[in-house]
Amino acid sequence: MAGVPAVQVSIESSCEKQVQEVALDGTETYVPPLSMSQNLAKLAERIDFSQGSDSDGEGEEAVAGETRDRDWLKQEPEEEEGKKMMDNVEMKMRRRGTVKFQPSLWPWDSVRNNLRSSLTEMCVLYDVLSVVKAKRYMALDPVSQDPSAGKSPQVFQLMSKKKSLATAAQLLLKGAEKLSKSVAENLENRRQRDFNSELLRLRSQWKLRKVGDKILGDLSYRSAGSLFPHQGTFEVIKNTDLDLDKRVPGDYCPLDVQTPSDLEGSAYLKVSIQKQAPDIGDLGTVDLFRRQPRTKAGTQPWHVKLEAAQNVLLCKEIFAQLSREAVQIKSQIPHIVVKNQIISQPFPGLQLSISLCHSTGDKKNQKGSPERPKPDDHLYVLEHNLHQLMREFHKQRLSSVVMPHPASAPFGHKRLRLAGPQAYDKTEICSLQQSQGLLEKIIKQAKHIFLRSRTARTIDSLASHIEDPQIQAHWSNINDVYESSVKVLITSQGYEQICKSIQLQLNIGVEQIRVVHRDGRVVTLSHQEQELQDFLLSQMSQHQVHAVQQLAKVMGWHVLSFSNHVGLGPVESIGNASAITVASANGEYAISVRNGPESGCKVLVQFPRSHTKEQPKSEVVQDAKWTHLRGAYKEVQWSKMEGRNFVYKMELLMAALTPCP
Amino acid sequence: MEAPPVTVMPVTGGSINMMEYLLQGSVLDQALESLLHRLRGLCDNMEPETFIDHELVYLLKGQQGNPFILRARHSLSHPAVPWHLRYLGQPEAGDKSRHALVRNCLDVSASHSLPDFLNEMGFRLDHEFVANGHIFRRGALKVVVSKLSRVLVPGNTENTERLSLSYLVELSVLAPAGQDTVSDDMRSFAEQLKPLVHLEKIDPSKQRH
Repeated sequence: MAGVPAVQVSIESSCEKQVQEVALDGTETYVPPLSMSQNLAKLAERIDFSQGSDSDGEGEEAVAGETRDRDWLKQEPEEEEGKKMMDNVEMKMRRRGTVKFQPSLWPWDSVRNNLRSSLTEMCVLYDVLSVVKAKRYMALDPVSQDPSAGKSPQVFQLMSKKKSLATAAQLLLKGAEKLSKSVAENLENRRQRDFNSELLRLRSQWKLRKVGDKILGDLSYRSAGSLFPHQGTFEVIKNTDLDLDKRVPGDYCPLDVQTPSDLEGSAYLKVSIQKQAPDIGDLGTVDLFRRQPRTKAGTQPWHVKLEAAQNVLLCKEIFAQLSREAVQIKSQIPHIVVKNQIISQPFPGLQLSISLCHSTGDKKNQKGSPERPKPDDHLYVLEHNLHQLMREFHKQRLSSVVMPHPASAPFGHKRLRLAGPQAYDKTEICSLQQSQGLLEKIIKQAKHIFLRSRTARTIDSLASHIEDPQIQAHWSNINDVYESSVKVLITSQGYEQICKSIQLQLNIGVEQIRVVHRDGRVVTLSHQEQELQDFLLSQMSQHQVHAVQQLAKVMGWHVLSFSNHVGLGPVESIGNASAITVASANGEYAISVRNGPESGCKVLVQFPRSHTKEQPKSEVVQDAKWTHLRGAYKEVQWSKMEGRNFVYKMELLMAALTPCP
Repeated sequence: MEAPPVTVMPVTGGSINMMEYLLQGSVLDQALESLLHRLRGLCDNMEPETFIDHELVYLLKGQQGNPFILRARHSLSHPAVPWHLRYLGQPEAGDKSRHALVRNCLDVSASHSLPDFLNEMGFRLDHEFVANGHIFRRGALKVVVSKLSRVLVPGNTENTERLSLSYLVELSVLAPAGQDTVSDDMRSFAEQLKPLVHLEKIDPSKQRH
């Protein structure tokens, strides 16, 4: 090689020296590199001089290959692969050139041969590839594999398939893991966001404040004017006890609230009026449970919980207020406060009981206790009114707080400030300060409700027992809490148009009933049931006599006498009897009716003297004209008269006594 | 009203001796909005009210001692409401550690003929001013943020000139004597207004020039 400048191939031994041994302390002892002569000798040893070859033929071939290579280079100089190849080719050319000019240098012959064969193969490969790629002349088609080709390819196939599948599976698994991780992350994020959005929603409806790292809320009515000392604080907590792997339940809410333990469960105030007072010993905690109110769809669970707690708080406040008033107010019959019950006596023999029923959640299992056959005498109206009164009280407290004008004036009741300058007298000042308590108001309402229902019952029972005359009651729809009215009409069936004399307006108040007659007379009745009943009975008996009067007008009879209150005859236990006497148109007959509420009716007919069978012969009265005088009375057996009611019977009687024209 | 004409005696309001606990401060006009905003948040949930009041300060001079001062105030925005006559005593020296100024206070509402009545009694009008601003309340605490204006022509409340470029902030509570817990409440409330306004106990007698 040396001495020829054209030679550019340089071959070096690898720089790595061979390790002879590694000592225990880690130092490596290298084999000393061969010297130039030693190296040459070693290379010479490997040459097989026996394998001689005809270098000429090979040289020609090489020339042919070279030209071909050159063409190929010209043809496709832009091919990328070709570029890579070119380096190789040039290198080979040079080597070959070396071989040509120095054919005696045999040691590299095997190298040359190998390179050449590889070049040939590369060229063939390139051609095949270009042909296949061009797809102009040839196309590759899969050749159906002969299954009997042997087991080993199948095994290979299987193996390779398995391997590729495994790779694919690994990839897929990795992707899935990534996905699930991101989904979980997303979920966590969303939950976090949900908590915040829920908190925002909570914030828009309830008062919240942050104390330390806690979020506290206020469910009391203090801002609405309540004076109840209960704190009414609830705590907002994040609901994190949900298992991430499990499915999220439908009613899951990331936000939860913790209400005070004494406000849990549900509560209501039971207001009832009972007839007999049970023994004081019987009084105790009233356990009455009502079914839980069904939650509306779409409301958050925390909202339901808070509203329930707030309701409990309000019930407690009302009850506390009532108990305080019950103890403070002095009445003839003291109000009794026992445990969760307040008992008052609005009327003798009647008791109003207001009880606070608070059921906590865990008591629910006892709900099915057998002590429930009692009829539900709960007065929902009064319960509602209690709530309303409490809220009114709150509102009044809030609205009475007005800013003083001028600004230096003290806070306080505006009207009280007017008292001095406007020279209020004592009664005016007293009227400013006087205010009725909750208990007094509710007792008044209870009294009214009781009186109204008792009046209705009295009228109904009278109407159902007594068929003649008929009694009709028209209740007004719009009532005050302390007053309602009913219009009572007493009529006879079939004669409604002519018998309209008795129309009563009953104004039912708190303690008494005021009865206004059609003519403006006013009668005041007490709360006693009997009074109203007696009054109505006497009115009904009067009605019959009034009816006869009206009928007489229609029939053309003359009223001889009429009295609502007859002073004669047997004394009635209820009211007075009334009487009427009517005479027929020609004056021959007279009918006399006496009707008492207790004794019933008595009808007498007076006949003309001429009709009497045995005319009393008198020496004094001789003239015939005296025979036209009416004679003796005869009682009509009224119960045997035909006709469906009193007025009809009377009409028949009158008709019978009227001579045919 | 039976004011001693010559000697100045402490006035007591009936059976209950009411004291006014007072803290005062001021804010510049620019800071008013943020102070009102803060007060709206801190005070009771009521619509903040504005007011325009006219105050007349009457003096009754005796032979010796300090003159007797009465303050008559009426609202210009609500002309129908009664006048308010106020007597304020000297600040109690008492406890230095107390957080608020404490002084005797007597409030009387009066009819519209109050100025004439006072004149007849021998009182003389010392000065008058118009205060307009906002009033807040938090429980028993009263917060009055007001701008004071000088009345240029005596008796004409239309023609006024403002005294300064700031608003007077007063925090006051009326309480029976001896309830010093009130002053603690006041201080904690004043603390909450701290960066906006510094409320301090200011003795008016030392301010007089």
